[in-house]
Amino acid sequence: MTAGSGPGQAAAGPGRYWRSRQGLALAGSLTFFVAVYLYPLSRLVVWSLFSPTFTLEHYAKLFGEPAYFRAFRNTSEISLGVTAIALLLGYPLAYLMTVASRRARAIMIVLVLVPFWTSVLVRTFAWMVILGRRGLVNQILIGWGLVDRPLALIYNMVGVQIGMAHVLLPFMVLPLLSVMSRIDASLVTAARSLGASPGQAFLRVFLPLSLPGVSAGCVLVFLLAVGFYITPALLGGEGQVTFATLIELVVRDLLDWNFGASLGVFLLTVVGALFVLFSALLGLDRLTGHGRG
Amino acid sequence: MSGTRTTLGRRLLWVHAGLTLLFLCAPIAIIVVVSFNASEFIQFPPRAWSLRWYRNYFGARQWVEPTLLSLRVAGITMALSTALGTAAAIGITRGRFRGRRAVEFFFLSPMVVPSIVLAIGLYLLFARFRLVGQPLALYLAHSVLATPLVIVIVSAALRTTDTAIELAARSLGAGYFRTLWHVTLPAVLPAVVSGAVFAFLISFDEVVLAIFLGGPATTTLPKRMWESVRYEIDPTLTAISTLLVLVPIVLLGGIELVRRTCAAQAAAGPAEAADEPGGAR
Repeated sequence: MTAGSGPGQAAAGPGRYWRSRQGLALAGSLTFFVAVYLYPLSRLVVWSLFSPTFTLEHYAKLFGEPAYFRAFRNTSEISLGVTAIALLLGYPLAYLMTVASRRARAIMIVLVLVPFWTSVLVRTFAWMVILGRRGLVNQILIGWGLVDRPLALIYNMVGVQIGMAHVLLPFMVLPLLSVMSRIDASLVTAARSLGASPGQAFLRVFLPLSLPGVSAGCVLVFLLAVGFYITPALLGGEGQVTFATLIELVVRDLLDWNFGASLGVFLLTVVGALFVLFSALLGLDRLTGHGRG
Repeated sequence: MSGTRTTLGRRLLWVHAGLTLLFLCAPIAIIVVVSFNASEFIQFPPRAWSLRWYRNYFGARQWVEPTLLSLRVAGITMALSTALGTAAAIGITRGRFRGRRAVEFFFLSPMVVPSIVLAIGLYLLFARFRLVGQPLALYLAHSVLATPLVIVIVSAALRTTDTAIELAARSLGAGYFRTLWHVTLPAVLPAVVSGAVFAFLISFDEVVLAIFLGGPATTTLPKRMWESVRYEIDPTLTAISTLLVLVPIVLLGGIELVRRTCAAQAAAGPAEAADEPGGAR
């Protein structure tokens, strides 16, 4: 990379950067982020450990009480399920987008991006209209005489998984597409010309080369699912309390900010570890677009 | 033999992809269709059509006021995060200092921090300054979410522009800020604009920070929708949802069109136009 050869600090060494005018531009944004982002998050750590003297009781409660442990289990179950659904739906779609004609590919990208950029609240509300007790699916089933009483499709695990898979699917498709479209198609052609069947060529050439996209997509979807609030809160029932909805419950209804903070810190630690893993797998380079080639 | 298998496999692939795309798009299409329903009861397909839910939305203060607030919050967030994000992107891409990667990592990390955690952290911070329920709380909180995306978009564009023109400007006697204003920024203007649009959209749709940090006098449209959807399914929400689906399509489709027009002009123009950055994304 030649990014360091910019003007302005041609003569300035690393040490002098922060005193240069460019350093000043960066320092402004950095100050904002430290004050309104890093500081409040680090205050949560303090809240979780002091009440008012140092204690680990909030963390003990988190791991000790079965009711809270259930939120942990629910969150893992939902996140793993949603990641699996997104991969099963997303991988073939991304593969087809890679091999389809330019026109078909462009149409499919639009059909992925429009839901991607539609408000999560709107999309979750749409599922409430479709799957609710008096929702469209139940209207049809009852109208056709297939069931007597409306089926419970939301306020349970099914509803949460459908709604979250819908919200997070694009986060699987886009990294997959990014990796797959970099795969040299002539490698598959070469395998075919050397006698591999289409299935073999896919399994032994394309699939292994697409695995970085699979791991990046899975980590990203899992990471976002773990901290997701809106969809589990609207489509989940009492049995589907997740980490995020538990935090809301603890600080809003129980007003226990110390315990809420310890839940937040724990969630942040899990997400932080996954984010580091994600960057190691796909690299922030890809995310920021300067890792071409 | 293998030829027919390929076609069959390809067909199954198309069916699978088609169903997946249906799963992604059908809920949105259904909401749009039922918003024109005439009855109190949400039906699909509607038996009678009307615009009553749109009239309901535009006629009620309880909906119009949150909409105006959301527009204001999104506008101010857009200005703040575009300024902060562009400055940070210039610092990251043009600077040469130790820890550059770590700084970039830090700037992008809010994209994956769960909103609920940021919300309780900011609530505790703002409560001390009596800012909870004030519009300023929303401007600041939304800027934390929107700035990283501006950084991603603008720094991607900065990395593809040739720094030689900036060096040329400096060597011809232009100062740092003059070079920035007349050379660096114009070259990445399309990216700055699209970053600003994305920042606007993030703030306009944001729910979690708005419900925690907003008060009765600072209820944004998503917060008002959230309060409504938790108690009953009001068909007015289908009309609002339809309008909210249109906002990103119009804004993002708009920048894409402008980008294509610019690219077409650059391609048709003289050879030196080829150095223009070809859009942000």
